[in-house]
Amino acid sequence: MNQILLIEPDYVLAKIYKQALEADGLAKVTVVSGAQAAIMAADEHKPDMVIMELQLIEHSGVEFLYEFRSYTEWQGVPILIQTIVPFGEFQDNWHLLQDELGVRSYLYKPHTSLRQLLSSVREHSLVST
Amino acid sequence: MATDGYEAPILSQQLLLGVAEELKLPLLQIARHTELAQLNGNTDLGNVRTAAQMALQLLDNYVLGVRLALEPQHFPLEAVSVSSVLYDTSQQLDTFAKSYNVDLELSIAGKYGPVLANRQGLQAALVSVGAALIEAIPALEGPRQLKLQLATHRSRYGVIAGVYADTKQLSNEALQRGRRLQGRSRQPLLNLSQSNGAGIFVADAILQAMDLHLIASRHHHLHGLGTVLQSNYQLQLV
Repeated sequence: MNQILLIEPDYVLAKIYKQALEADGLAKVTVVSGAQAAIMAADEHKPDMVIMELQLIEHSGVEFLYEFRSYTEWQGVPILIQTIVPFGEFQDNWHLLQDELGVRSYLYKPHTSLRQLLSSVREHSLVST
Repeated sequence: MATDGYEAPILSQQLLLGVAEELKLPLLQIARHTELAQLNGNTDLGNVRTAAQMALQLLDNYVLGVRLALEPQHFPLEAVSVSSVLYDTSQQLDTFAKSYNVDLELSIAGKYGPVLANRQGLQAALVSVGAALIEAIPALEGPRQLKLQLATHRSRYGVIAGVYADTKQLSNEALQRGRRLQGRSRQPLLNLSQSNGAGIFVADAILQAMDLHLIASRHHHLHGLGTVLQSNYQLQLV
């Protein structure tokens, strides 16, 4: 089964996303709320995919991305950004996130239903389900 | 009207923008809760009710702050028992705290006598700060326990009523920096909250409208935010 690392700072939303992803049988989900915990969790659980919020406490999601991609074993792991930050606020840097940090997809959290999230995970998953 | 030539902070567009942004979270929770319920056939809507109530609470507190700034004559100072206000605050936050897996504790031992405040405003400010911290605590990397304490103690400035957690992120410096960045940054309280911290700024504005101040303070080994209240000596003599 695939391992998904979910970086979601809101406790309530994290529980919902974890339930939805696991109920669908897509993956086993490890939830963390911040960037430092995410690096440690990645080391422990070897995720096949990362779904992450950009707006985190202390270290931003972008800081996590730089750290995460600096390890060779994680350079091919698909990353989906699912965030509360509207695209317009960082579209100037989108090419950086895509080209240099290998972000596969951007999902605006308020407009992304659970079905859309599951569909996006399937689309970018390395292992077909 | 007390507003001639006076632009109260409560009326700022930044705060309104912050409240609007903050409301996205409970609405998002409601939308995803209902969708998940449809997917897995779960009919327990308790979580939806909790999220909706906290959204309404944030709106109510914002509106109260505006009214306090516009019509202070309708919100007179009165003799208020801090312990009683903290108890009612804990009751109001209890279900919300449970939904975030945060333990609420009351520390209201000690007799401090009544203080001079507007009870409705004081409670709204404490609920607003409490709700903001309940959301933030599980996301902080530092705390060993997911615990929030509603507490009161005496300082040399007066009786302090506040909300305390096991985190050092709550400081006057962080609060001041947050006030400066409010409306200009998505995360004015970067080390404390993943959101824009609207609940804290709403509390700040409510307290300002009552000539009180939101300050960082400590209660035993915990750090928190609270306000200094003056004892009502006149009543104590009665």
